[in-house]
Amino acid sequence: MSSFDHNPIVEMRNIEKHFGPVIALNGVSFDIRPGECHCLLGDNGAGKSTFIKTMSGVHKPTKGEILFEGKRMDFASPRDAMEAGIATVYQDLAMIPLMSVTRNFWMGREPVKRVGPFSFMDFTKANDVTMEEMRKMGINLRSPDQAVGTLSGGERQTVAIARAVYFGAKVLILDEPTSALGVRQTANVLSTIDKVRKTGIGVVFITHNVRHAMAVGDRFTVLNRGKTLGTAQRGQITPEELQDLMAGGQELVALEGSLGGTV
Amino acid sequence: MSSTGAAVDERIKETSRLRKALIRPELGAIVGTFAVFLFFIIFAGDSGMFNAQGVLNWSTVSAQFVIIAVGACMLMIAGEFDLSVGSMIGFAGMSIAIFSVTLGWPVWLAILLTFAICIAIGALNGVIVVRTGLPSFIVTLAFLFILRGFTIFFPQLIERRTIIGGIAERAAGDWLAPVFGGKVGGFFFDWLASQGLIAVFERGNRMGEPIVNGIPMLIVWALGLMVVAHIVLTRTRFGNWVFAAGGDAQAARYVGVPVARVKILMFMFTAFCATVFATCQVMEFGSAGADRGLLKEFEAIIAVVIGGALLTGGYGSVIGAALGALIFGVVQQGLFFAGVESSLFRVFLGVILLFAVILNTYIRRIITGER
Amino acid sequence: MKATLKKLAVSAVAVSAMMGGTAAIAEGERYVLVSHAPDSDSWWNTIKNGLALAGEQMNVTVEYRNPPTGDLADMARIIEQAAASNPNGIITTLADPDVLSGPISAAVDAGIDVIIINSGTPDQARALGALMYVGQPEYDAGFAAGQRAAGDGVTSFLCVNHYISSPSSTERCQGFADGLGIDLGNQMIDSGQDPSEIQNRVMAYLNANPDTDAVLTLGPTSADPTILALQQMGLAGDIYFGTFDLGGDIVQAIRDGVIQWGIDQQPFLQAYLPVIVLTNYHRFGVLPGNNINSGPGFVTADALDLVAELAGEYR
Repeated sequence: MSSFDHNPIVEMRNIEKHFGPVIALNGVSFDIRPGECHCLLGDNGAGKSTFIKTMSGVHKPTKGEILFEGKRMDFASPRDAMEAGIATVYQDLAMIPLMSVTRNFWMGREPVKRVGPFSFMDFTKANDVTMEEMRKMGINLRSPDQAVGTLSGGERQTVAIARAVYFGAKVLILDEPTSALGVRQTANVLSTIDKVRKTGIGVVFITHNVRHAMAVGDRFTVLNRGKTLGTAQRGQITPEELQDLMAGGQELVALEGSLGGTV
Repeated sequence: MSSTGAAVDERIKETSRLRKALIRPELGAIVGTFAVFLFFIIFAGDSGMFNAQGVLNWSTVSAQFVIIAVGACMLMIAGEFDLSVGSMIGFAGMSIAIFSVTLGWPVWLAILLTFAICIAIGALNGVIVVRTGLPSFIVTLAFLFILRGFTIFFPQLIERRTIIGGIAERAAGDWLAPVFGGKVGGFFFDWLASQGLIAVFERGNRMGEPIVNGIPMLIVWALGLMVVAHIVLTRTRFGNWVFAAGGDAQAARYVGVPVARVKILMFMFTAFCATVFATCQVMEFGSAGADRGLLKEFEAIIAVVIGGALLTGGYGSVIGAALGALIFGVVQQGLFFAGVESSLFRVFLGVILLFAVILNTYIRRIITGER
Repeated sequence: MKATLKKLAVSAVAVSAMMGGTAAIAEGERYVLVSHAPDSDSWWNTIKNGLALAGEQMNVTVEYRNPPTGDLADMARIIEQAAASNPNGIITTLADPDVLSGPISAAVDAGIDVIIINSGTPDQARALGALMYVGQPEYDAGFAAGQRAAGDGVTSFLCVNHYISSPSSTERCQGFADGLGIDLGNQMIDSGQDPSEIQNRVMAYLNANPDTDAVLTLGPTSADPTILALQQMGLAGDIYFGTFDLGGDIVQAIRDGVIQWGIDQQPFLQAYLPVIVLTNYHRFGVLPGNNINSGPGFVTADALDLVAELAGEYR
């Protein structure tokens, strides 16, 4: 796979994050290369959210270092991380339903045109680009003025992904993008991930669904109780093994037998 | 898809235009404005409500509401309330009076200082809300009392009374005072009067002059603020941030919108509008009283809600809020013209407010697709 | 949408039905009375009744208008509105000449006859071009009351001011202090309009200043809670208590000996007489030659029966 010819875009080394007496992350190492989809798996409470918030500049790590394109980086805010090229699509905070697709798409980075001493938002450009980028992702909008609230969950994720891609993300972090979606919308989001990966962007795909991970993942890292249990290449690990790792390798074994391996 | 694409697209566009018309936030206010005018043309058409003097009367009252509604609207879209607007009006007026009359400073200096003080208080409101994360309802409620208290305390302490007059004399010849208290277009009304189109004074030292001799600056301010706020909100990058800050502050923060700064600026703008209101009032009437502006914060919020803004933030329109203010002013003054018992005004207000909120909820359901 | 429009239409019909009762335009003159009182001030009910009675007797249309919150700037707009509706006459209070003189003189200049009632002074009324002043000069009334109290041995007092933003309220307290021959100082408190707040503030003041000789209230709004406060503190009948204006509870308190006297400015006359004067002026061109003082009259425990019977209605 071509992605292994490249050096990692982001490399996280032995990250620890403490909240008072609580150790949320206890030595996590992770890296993401261009054009790959690196799945981060873990059960609820494993520390996935804390980890991606550390990666996207919301939290500062208590210990450990973050290398961005080989250089050590300290992100002071999400904006710093974003400007460096790390874009995050949060599961619930991606979009503002009452605002139009265009306004959401450009939120925080609105294009402006100057008229005399005043600068106005360039809606012609904003609308055209939005329509075009959404079309690239396979969604035909009725109108760029359409409120995001009228879109389906999958379409909203896609708007957020298209936005990140358009604004030059090198790394795209997707926080459980499929967890609240139906089968067909999940398939749409997964195919969007595939499209994004092919443009050379590194995708960090957070999920607790092994099947979704196996569908698009190139590498898999499992997080359990604030620690990584190692990273596996595609084809080196079976879904059952991943499932066991996520559950800490014990409790689910008995249960899985009775469910016939469908979990 | 691609083979039938053209036909399908056209049909979709058709519905989208209809939907677009339906989901404008101003829709309810536009319908309401027509209904209200129709109502008063029928029931008060011959009462003087629509002669020059009557029109000036309800437009002036409406313009007052517009000025504070524009500020409240921007702030509400940014997701916050300001309940201290009414007290701010009293406070600002008193501040101008104390600086100019009691301390004898030039009126322009008094006005500029008052603007600086009030905008700073607005910023303080905003900083407290943003820093503590407390609901703005509570923070500004505190300022409602704090400012009203000072407005009564200072003049009593200094002058032993709660109304300070004599500002008109101090303002004579001042360069800044006419910007708030003056009138424009006098020659036009002189011409109208000379053509016999509007009434003139029948006696007194103004005999022969038109009864309406100009458009008060209050109305000019209202229109100006409305246009500027509308353009900023809908046509600029900052406007997008205002929507974003109110729609979902966290989501906006994640994409780098400076939510705290936007909200604080909107609190300052609301304070600015309240101060414009107060300055116009003080310059027109020549006195400042401790009871000025009572309950104006609610009237502003009601106008904004009638205008289609959502109390939860992130959605609304300045034009809608201005129409809401117009409805408010026309109904308030129109009921007098129609000879309705004035205590029923509150009943009307409640009914209109209820209709507006129900209509807004309905529109929001269309937008967000929840049925 | 359709449903909403329908609702609007229905409400408009309902509203017009409601108006039918109040807007029956009688034949004859139309007079508008504009007061400065907020909706919550019950004292003005007597004015409303006097106005309605005069309208009925003279067969003219009368309307009562007031700013709902007592905001005088709103009152100015109401006077402008009244002038625009072109009535035969406007009867208005002059609570703050700075704010109200513009609209009032504009109405006068537009050819509308104006009578000033209640607040203001005869001089101010003349300056505005009003026909006359009907009322009780506030400072003089306070001064007379102060002299009376001084005769009864009062040397310190508490003035319970429930309408602190009106200059005329302060004038009453000031006049009383001057009549006593003492400095007003901190003896006037801003009690607010809420009964329980007034009661508690009066109690707090009297606890903090136990050597206070007398209490002066400015109307039923402050007198009624003050009566309760004195009863709770066991001072009722013990402390010297005078009040401006009358009301049901005040009359009872005078009878019980809790209140020594009430200053009756006879508000009934302030609403009733202007309508009579204006109507006769418009019909027959006759006008009394002077201002009319509707008060002050001191109401004491003697001859209280008629007052008691009509208190709150016409007295």
